[in-house]
Amino acid sequence: MTGRQTRSTIGMLAPATGLIAIFVLVPMVLTIGLSFTQWSTQTGFETASFVGLANFADLLGPTSIGRDFRAAFGNTAIYTALSVALILPLSVMLGLLVHQTFASGGILLRTVLFSSYMVPMIAVALVWSKLYSPTEGPINQMLGWVGVPPQTWLSSPRTALVSIVILNVWQQVGYFTVLAVAGLTQIPRSLYEAALVDGASAWMQFWRITLPLLRNTLLFSAVIAVINAVQVFEPVALITQGGPVNSTNVMTYHIRRVGIERAQGGLGSAMAVTLMLSLIVVIVLLFTLLRDRGEQR
Amino acid sequence: MSAMRPYRRHPRTWRRTALTLVILAIAVAAAFPLVWMVLSSLKTPEESMQVPPVWWPGSPSLDAFTEVADVVNLGRSFVNSAFIAIVTTVAIVVTSLMAGYAFAKYRFKGRDWLFAVLIATMFLPPIVTLIPLYRLTGYLGLNANLLGVVVPNLANAFGIFLMRQYIKGVPDDLIDAARVDGASEFLILFKIVAPSVLPAIAALTLFAFVYHWNSYLWPLTVLQGNTDQYPIVISLSRLLSYNRGAMNTGLVMAGATLAVLPPVILFVFLQRFFVDSIVATGVKG
Repeated sequence: MTGRQTRSTIGMLAPATGLIAIFVLVPMVLTIGLSFTQWSTQTGFETASFVGLANFADLLGPTSIGRDFRAAFGNTAIYTALSVALILPLSVMLGLLVHQTFASGGILLRTVLFSSYMVPMIAVALVWSKLYSPTEGPINQMLGWVGVPPQTWLSSPRTALVSIVILNVWQQVGYFTVLAVAGLTQIPRSLYEAALVDGASAWMQFWRITLPLLRNTLLFSAVIAVINAVQVFEPVALITQGGPVNSTNVMTYHIRRVGIERAQGGLGSAMAVTLMLSLIVVIVLLFTLLRDRGEQR
Repeated sequence: MSAMRPYRRHPRTWRRTALTLVILAIAVAAAFPLVWMVLSSLKTPEESMQVPPVWWPGSPSLDAFTEVADVVNLGRSFVNSAFIAIVTTVAIVVTSLMAGYAFAKYRFKGRDWLFAVLIATMFLPPIVTLIPLYRLTGYLGLNANLLGVVVPNLANAFGIFLMRQYIKGVPDDLIDAARVDGASEFLILFKIVAPSVLPAIAALTLFAFVYHWNSYLWPLTVLQGNTDQYPIVISLSRLLSYNRGAMNTGLVMAGATLAVLPPVILFVFLQRFFVDSIVATGVKG
């Protein structure tokens, strides 16, 4: 490589790489380092004192630190599992409706679904907090029309987390629908034509052709859905503040409360590291379970 | 097939109509929360409080919108949001074009390795780096300031990835011809490469604008309660605490409607680019 080429390579890469290094990679390394220290977020990094694995021991221990953390971890796990379990099948179903050309309305549906993905989460949270209102909210009113008794939604520890899952699914499903449509367009038409010749029903075509060939799309969607789900913050910060009775205290909210608001930077970092490790485990598991191994075709 | 068996036509039409109705019903249900938001913003405070809820505002009024302006510093918040979204978007497009060009068209040692490291950051939830980042911007004197919101977000991995995907498709001959003519690499990038990846630039512009217009966690953290610097999404959250009763429903909905408008309008007009870029990359911003 000539000197000129080296210079232009560095010149082109420096801004983006430098910024990402300083504002993402360095903080990532710092998070790991700080997780082994006791450190107040209000003071400089030099005040951090090494405590070994004490923070992690606290997270697993019997004190309120451990109990609150494990509750938040559990809530996030439930929240993530429910979100993925709802988003994936919905995205395929809606994707089929958007993709098909037999009936009209597909593009309208895509526009409506994707519009909600553009809406700031804070507005979503505000609107749904009113929709869920037990007395003045239209959701309980509509349930009443079909004879379903009023639900408690955000006001009961039993239903609050699920209520937040629902509003989150509503907001995000449009994005995953577009991903599903992208996957559907990759499936060769000839496969369906061959299936039709063999007399396969639409139902069988779906299970034997569509779903298996959407596998990689679904794997990707699942990974993104998991990563998005652990980031839920606005509805909790705005409406429930983690309540009622800690039922919606999720990881992003909890880590910020401990690490920023209570300035326990070391402890908060240990929580962040635990979250990161758990995410890696989940993603590796998803890959092992869902990756197309090739032998089934 | 229907031409061969004309008697099948009728059931086919019926099924088509039924499916269209199902699609429309889902679209209506999906649009309901946003429609409800707009309708509620036009209701009087009395209508907002009624049990059972009133769906249609009896005498639509824009009072709630003028009241929002009194409660939060609406103009200032909008300017702050626009500043954050525009500055980050312009910077992200430029830095992504540059890095994407290098990754797509240059050969250098460690290229794939460096690219993999950058791409990995795309999957990192922001909360994982929030605590040290907050201290880091503090060192740089950026906390409690709009610059603190903007500076850490001037480049991102998704932009680099998107640009690389599209720039790979630009013919090498085009670039080599310009090099023979003695054009500088920057001139080639901005005069030849950039114009041929305009759809990618449009998509990234929209992704970055919407993402940073909507972002909440980082601005809330770095601004440290400095309300003068709040973007609209954070000012909105103050509407809820301003008056906790049902009285302020119209107010909250008016504020939400205003905050929703810029990203949604942008999307409705330019959704083709969003969709194409998702198909091209299979990834979100």
